[in-house]
Amino acid sequence: MDPAPATPRWNLERPYLTGRFHQEAKAAAAAQAPGSKPFSLDSFSRGSGASPGSVIGSYAVSVQELLVIDDLLSALVGIEGRYISIKRVRGKEGYVVFQIDSSMDLALQELTRRIFPLCEDYVLVSQFVESRSHFKNGLVNHALAAALRAFLLDYQAMVAQLEHQFRIGRLSVQGLWFFCQRMMSSLNALAVLVEKATSNNTSGSATLNLLQSQAKAMGGDSAVRSLLEKMTEYTSAAYLRMLERWVYEGVIDDPYGEFFIAENKSLQKESLTQDYDAKYWQQRYSLKEGIPSFLTNVAAMILTTGKYLNVMRECGHNVQVSFSENSKLMSFGSNHQYLECIKSAYDFASGELLTLMKDKYDLIGKLRSLKRYLLLDQGDFLVHFMDIAREELTKKPEEISAEKLQSLLDIALRSTAAASDPTHEELICCVERSSLLKKLATLKDLDCDCPADKLAAADIDQSMQLSITGLETFCLSNKVQWPLSLVISRKALTKYQLIFRLLFHCKHVSRQLCAAWQIQQVFRSVKILGTPILRSSILCRSMLKFVNSLLHYLTFEVLEPNWHLMHDRLQTARSIDEVIQIHDFFLQKCLKECLLLSPELLVKVEKLKALCLQYATSIQLLMPSIEVANSENTSKSGKSRSRTNKSQDRDQQLKLASENVVMSESILKFQAAFNSELQSLAPTLSNSSHAEPYLTHLAQCILGVRIDQ
Amino acid sequence: MPREIITIQVGQCGNQIGMEFWKQLCLEHGIGKDGLLEDFATQGGDRKDVFFYQADDQHFIPRSLLIDLEPRVINGIQNSEYRNLYNHENIFVAEHGGGAGNNWASGYHQGEQVVDDIMDMVDREADGSDSLEGFVLCHSIAGGTGSGMGSYLLETLNDRYSKKLVQTYSVFPNQMETSDVVVQPYNSLLTLKRLTLNADCVVVLDNTALNRIAVERLHLSNPTFAQTNSLVSTVMSASTTTLRYPGYMNNDLVGLLASLIPTPRCHFLMTGYTPLTVERQVNMIRKTTVLDVMRRLLQTKNIMVSSYARTKEASQAKYISILNIIQGEVDPTQVHESLQRIRERKLVNFIDWAPASIQVALSRKSPYVQTTHRVSGLMLANHTSIRHLFSKCLGQYEKLRKKQAFLDNYRKFPMFADNDLSEFDESREIIESLVDEYKACESPDYIKWGMEDPGEANVAAALDSKLVV
Repeated sequence: MDPAPATPRWNLERPYLTGRFHQEAKAAAAAQAPGSKPFSLDSFSRGSGASPGSVIGSYAVSVQELLVIDDLLSALVGIEGRYISIKRVRGKEGYVVFQIDSSMDLALQELTRRIFPLCEDYVLVSQFVESRSHFKNGLVNHALAAALRAFLLDYQAMVAQLEHQFRIGRLSVQGLWFFCQRMMSSLNALAVLVEKATSNNTSGSATLNLLQSQAKAMGGDSAVRSLLEKMTEYTSAAYLRMLERWVYEGVIDDPYGEFFIAENKSLQKESLTQDYDAKYWQQRYSLKEGIPSFLTNVAAMILTTGKYLNVMRECGHNVQVSFSENSKLMSFGSNHQYLECIKSAYDFASGELLTLMKDKYDLIGKLRSLKRYLLLDQGDFLVHFMDIAREELTKKPEEISAEKLQSLLDIALRSTAAASDPTHEELICCVERSSLLKKLATLKDLDCDCPADKLAAADIDQSMQLSITGLETFCLSNKVQWPLSLVISRKALTKYQLIFRLLFHCKHVSRQLCAAWQIQQVFRSVKILGTPILRSSILCRSMLKFVNSLLHYLTFEVLEPNWHLMHDRLQTARSIDEVIQIHDFFLQKCLKECLLLSPELLVKVEKLKALCLQYATSIQLLMPSIEVANSENTSKSGKSRSRTNKSQDRDQQLKLASENVVMSESILKFQAAFNSELQSLAPTLSNSSHAEPYLTHLAQCILGVRIDQ
Repeated sequence: MPREIITIQVGQCGNQIGMEFWKQLCLEHGIGKDGLLEDFATQGGDRKDVFFYQADDQHFIPRSLLIDLEPRVINGIQNSEYRNLYNHENIFVAEHGGGAGNNWASGYHQGEQVVDDIMDMVDREADGSDSLEGFVLCHSIAGGTGSGMGSYLLETLNDRYSKKLVQTYSVFPNQMETSDVVVQPYNSLLTLKRLTLNADCVVVLDNTALNRIAVERLHLSNPTFAQTNSLVSTVMSASTTTLRYPGYMNNDLVGLLASLIPTPRCHFLMTGYTPLTVERQVNMIRKTTVLDVMRRLLQTKNIMVSSYARTKEASQAKYISILNIIQGEVDPTQVHESLQRIRERKLVNFIDWAPASIQVALSRKSPYVQTTHRVSGLMLANHTSIRHLFSKCLGQYEKLRKKQAFLDNYRKFPMFADNDLSEFDESREIIESLVDEYKACESPDYIKWGMEDPGEANVAAALDSKLVV
């Protein structure tokens, strides 16, 4: 918004240009020297020999009439005459009353007084026209002033006509009165309007509202009403230009701050990708106070229309609205043409932006890519990444080099199916500092179910924080470019990341269990019935079942169906706001169903996963000792030994191992801990499953067929 | 390229099914007969590198070893349209070309002699991969080469690549018709020992059942080898589909197998596939839904292993684990509903000693293969009734052994020299223990089976039973 240009100095210094001049001058003169004759007045009062002091009552009535008509004609354009004087009303700025020499014939006085309101109204209106033409009053007031000026020109033309009639001697006071009547009501209505506008010092939409309400109030007088409507039309023309630029170009062309949409330039679009609480979309453009009453219902639509156009402009996309006469905003008349124009502008803008987002910026493709990499829709790259980044990820978060991870990730992406997908280059590695539970606790606005459980979360966190590694804190991020950042804002991305971290950790646990499983596969050469190995195998299976079921639940029961639903709804979305809303809904639902919003359950799940990890680690630690013993044996035995003997040796080792007491005990311990933890999950799940049906799915997945028996 | 899998096809049968498998993979990945990518194969997202690698001229080469002791089948491949697909350095045919004469001992012995050549090939392939995940062996257990040499290779692989997985697709002989290989029971028994001890996972392809399915389901009056082999290749390609078309889960072989195999020895998997079609049969198209597919997969008639169990035993038989790989356009919400339905109807009889449920993997379908059905499914299942197949093998062996029949052929070879038949006895013992273990799985007390300290076991059992809500 440019500040209104200053009123030029000459306009302030030279009141000659305004009609109020002579009143001002008279007042000044009177104040200066009451005795001295004000020269200016004389130049105006057309002297016919008679001094202003002479009493009109001394003339014959017919002469009085001529004199008073002459004076009245001046008074009609706001100029004092010899017998008609102008008095200011005290306390009311700009208000004047006309007075007539009381010595005049009473009948003439009466007739003359009837005409005075017209004169007073003229003064009022013309003052308004002059004062409101100043820059600072804004476009709407300028337009109103211009319309009034045009009206006044008509009025002045009438006065000139009357004067002509008077000169050729065909005008009597009665005639004057007759000719003025038509004007009376119109000018009076304008005067009332002007009075209200002045006293409330209205501008912009308030002026428009005032005009409209005045026009409505004049319902009974069709002539006045149509005059006021005409005024409204002229006045609103400027406002409509503004509106047009906004709804057709997305530009705020509002030097005087009259428009009802404000722009907050301090909100940059870059904040969308950086700031978790970015308000760009919500607050960059906003509705102000003072929406014109006829636009109240469509204000929101107008706001979004311009917002959409703005987005497209920011994208460097040249929006060409097919501009026809029909789409020109003509008036706020009762035919509601303007509403249709706004509606079609909105449809155009939202349709255009949506097409732009979907086609040029490939929104759906981006979402699909997020699903692929952050929701692990195609997880093969992660398998390879975890293979090659194992060492780096087992370090403490502070010691991990994000650059190294990034290069490993790039290798993984290039060498798997992701290679053919160009969007993989937008992936970034990041390592968070805190565990998932802690991170969740810091994100306050996620509507966690039960904040009381945060304490519990904090508890378990304390113990886990010490042993936290990159595996718990690794996270992927994605470069999101404007304008896609409108939909995939920092906040949305954070939600994706939360889900990713949960999935990633589940995958890690599953991998570790698989490794433990693979180690135990060597025991197929000995009978394991009745040994701790059998117990361990079965425990391993239960744990794998748990993790895999959890993953199955998260992916096939939560992510995939919800994603499909979102995908379908996106196809029918009509505007970008709808898209944002659908996408946010999807994320929120996923977070909720992924248990990320119920810390109570999540803590239990984390505990179970921790147990699985401990078990897998200890198996991986215990077993290789057997292998080592075995290989030493082999090297000693030399090449000459037959394979049979070798394998018999090995079997012997395995047999011993399978009866290992230490292992037997620790496996029992793990089994007991795991089972009791799993058991305690069951009632929690079934208790809350009435309120949250998805928990039934989870229960069925994790606890298997047995829960409902 | 990560998580590669090397395929080794041994013997006549192994090479035939291997050949079909590669044909199918080429079709699914849009790879031409000469290994070059077809023009239409532009859609990415698949993982060709698990089973193929690219030569300098960009053509795809299977990570595959073709091994046989007689030249017939391999010559056939080398004269077929696919001759340029394979790496010729990976083809091994015994110089004498005399085969193994359907003798396990001969195959095993010859394997021992040529193992260095073959392991060179294996090493070369293994070195050519970034992080080898494991081996897949295709063979039959009845003949000489696939069974005997396959057995030797299994032992060697286990020894050399102890950290790698070994999965086999093992064709079991047709029990219904009298085989031309009279010593089949010997061969099967000796191979089964290696399958038990040296493989991480065995996918059992029972020729009896394959024939039955061809006759009953596909209405082929006299199914040819090519037709049953196409069933096999369908199963093989479908079971690797989660590796080749990655999805949310089961993107590596170990993850796939670990969830199916509870204890080291119980690693024999049954398969089922639906809907089955052979070319030319358009009239058999039906509506397929997830529930429909899952339900059909549980029907015995669709399972590619014959059940020899008597009725009473059959009712005891239980599923240890099931993985359904569903391919095609699947509405994910259907999966949950279908599982729910199956659960409600109690269509699956699971083991009692641990929680179990059907696992589902959704997988994309190859965009290049037009199928008439929208949804298809493969079931990989670990079912205790497989023990009856082993019992049957044992029974046939006992019969033959009692008669001391045909043992002379075996005594010619070092392993059985000097009338040392302990290998037979040892194998029998191992298969028996395998049968026992599967039988134990049917019992709810599996976990404390043979446990020395009953008190401790009771504690554990009590804990377990608490789980049953």
